[in-house]
Amino acid sequence: MDRTEILNEVNGVFKDILDNADIVIGESTSAADVEEWDSLTHIQLVVAVEKNFKIRFTSKEIQAWNNVGEMINSILAKKK
Amino acid sequence: MIFQLNDKYEASYVVSEYVYRGFMNVFKDENPLHTNSEFAINKGFSGKVMHGNILNGFLSNFIGECLPIKGVIIHSQEIQYKKAVYLNDELHFEAIVTGIYESVNAVEFKFQYKNKDAKVVSKGKFQIGILE
Repeated sequence: MDRTEILNEVNGVFKDILDNADIVIGESTSAADVEEWDSLTHIQLVVAVEKNFKIRFTSKEIQAWNNVGEMINSILAKKK
Repeated sequence: MIFQLNDKYEASYVVSEYVYRGFMNVFKDENPLHTNSEFAINKGFSGKVMHGNILNGFLSNFIGECLPIKGVIIHSQEIQYKKAVYLNDELHFEAIVTGIYESVNAVEFKFQYKNKDAKVVSKGKFQIGILE
């Protein structure tokens, strides 16, 4: 999977979890940009991304993310 | 992490008169399916059907009181009803760990309730957060 494909899949996960079909996530998107992205939703997003890509993150990894692009970096590193 | 994949937990519950009356007193659902035996029998059941959400109350008891730690919070739950539950039914509850998400301290379970005839009356899944 390349970076664009992963971003598209992540976008689908966000639409589902945030229950918002219109949302468009980009690499620079962060929680501050999305009203529905609160701390509980963050947990559901991480769980859904882990399930979707069949990977597991560490708490250290997710705490280091500042935006969706950094999440994609982690996904790419695990899918290699 | 205190939980491991496939860990199994069990509990037993009875839909007693006290539980049934207590649920109705609090939530005021007195639909005839739940309160009128004749009505329920005419709809094809064996008697008054207990409120499905009583089972969610038992689930709350299980999560809050029966797991090996008290520091838990429910993130989500889904439940399906397969068979009617009647007054004084004894239910065997079983939950199995199906997913562990250490990055966010979350654990997912699937669960089922069986009646005394070993028939599944309800099943579903829930996710809890482990509070540090």
